[in-house]
Amino acid sequence: MSEYSLRIESLSKAYFNDTESSIILKNINLSVRKNEFLCILGPSGCGKTTLLRCIAGFEEHTGQIYVNDSLCTVPGMDRIMVFQDFNQLFPWKTVLQNILFPLKRKGINSTAERKEIAREALSKVKLSDYESYYPHQLSGGMKQRVAIAKALALKPDIILMDEPFAALDAMTRRELQNEMLTISQEESSTIIFVTHNIQEALILGTRNIVLQKGGEIILDEENSLTKPVTPNSEGYGAAWQRLRDAIYLSC
Amino acid sequence: MKKKDIIAKILFVITLLAIWEFVSKNHLLGPRSELIFPSLEKIMQAFVSNFTKGYAGISLWTYVINSLKLLLKGLVIGILGAFILSGLATLSHTLASIFNLLISVFDLLPGVALLPVIIIVLGVNSDVIVFLVIHSVLWPMSRSILDGFMAVPKIYVEAGNNIGLKNLSLILGVYFPASISYLLSGLKVGWARAWRGLISAEMIFGIASCPGIGLYINQMRTNMNNAEMYATLIVIIIIGVIVQYGVLAPIEKNTVKKWGMSS
Repeated sequence: MSEYSLRIESLSKAYFNDTESSIILKNINLSVRKNEFLCILGPSGCGKTTLLRCIAGFEEHTGQIYVNDSLCTVPGMDRIMVFQDFNQLFPWKTVLQNILFPLKRKGINSTAERKEIAREALSKVKLSDYESYYPHQLSGGMKQRVAIAKALALKPDIILMDEPFAALDAMTRRELQNEMLTISQEESSTIIFVTHNIQEALILGTRNIVLQKGGEIILDEENSLTKPVTPNSEGYGAAWQRLRDAIYLSC
Repeated sequence: MKKKDIIAKILFVITLLAIWEFVSKNHLLGPRSELIFPSLEKIMQAFVSNFTKGYAGISLWTYVINSLKLLLKGLVIGILGAFILSGLATLSHTLASIFNLLISVFDLLPGVALLPVIIIVLGVNSDVIVFLVIHSVLWPMSRSILDGFMAVPKIYVEAGNNIGLKNLSLILGVYFPASISYLLSGLKVGWARAWRGLISAEMIFGIASCPGIGLYINQMRTNMNNAEMYATLIVIIIIGVIVQYGVLAPIEKNTVKKWGMSS
């Protein structure tokens, strides 16, 4: 086994319409090590969400994507996506069922075992008391927590997160960032996290990359700040400035 | 339902009945009053005698059961057919566009207008009625299912793909539950059309081996038993109300309402 969870080789993606084509991602090469928490930053429209969707298998593209050395072309349970949209849970299933169902799809046949895994995941996101609620009875932040719990329960090779906290209020976002940090330090999943929030990347990530408009990686650096990161952490200001400059360079 | 609403509804019905009785008792429509507005008392008596005496020695109850049997048979086949055809239509673009054309054409054709053709093909028997019921439910139901499938948010489909759902498992696991409110409205339209289509067909020709409620109404009309005719209409309304509040409303309550999916 290689040390990489994910290897992307010369990935390109373009959208075509009748008269013109627009290049979203251009010749991306990227390797992500096991247990890495990779944050992808970049200006709006730079293709960060598209890159994540390519990895998830939702988009056609050229180039190869390998997860644990096996080529991925279609969606699969080795890469679980947490969307930005709160409405990603199935409204016809309770919180618990939303986690049990994918576990069953994964092939865990014992009901007791499925329930145990699902309940453990719910307790990690502090939602144990809400297992019989339907998604419409939950707040936005709680729905995102359930989506994260679902991803944790499935123990995928990679958890893909597409600005999961962007639509939350500042207080809830801070709370969820803290929980996410704890979870990422305890779990052994590789996490790829798309965000436009520099502070969020510095708080959560172990490595940050910045995509330029047109989809080229213009900055790729380890996040060596000591966790937990606050604006007063040593080196925070410099790191923040480097990321900001890279993001605005392409604007 | 609010208490105020219930009281308002009851008052409304009582007022209507009072007007009916007033017109009937005072012969406001001249000599034909008795025929157009038989008194409520007579209708109530007819309601009872419909079931005790019936027509041609057969209780109305038997006619009702006959009709419901045919209706149920047609509904089940029609709804299953709609699900299967719509499911197939999701598999390919060509199938979907052909199916859409079929729906557009046949949904406009009144079942009764097809009667002559169907009778030639199937002969005069109860299959004709079943066919009409299928025809009235299949097309509106299919349209609702297809519309419902198109309206399924992309994110549910992707979340489904992400956990390995595709083809049949995706249709059953995501498309059907996600379009439940469309399915229910299709069911409502389909059921009402089927019920009306069935009664119209039975009024046009009665089948001796399987006489239904439409035939009964028509016999009452030809014999000028207007109180009995009205009493039969009441039976039709009661059946409709039972289906609405006893079957459709509970389904709605346990799905769309419970899941917060009603708009």
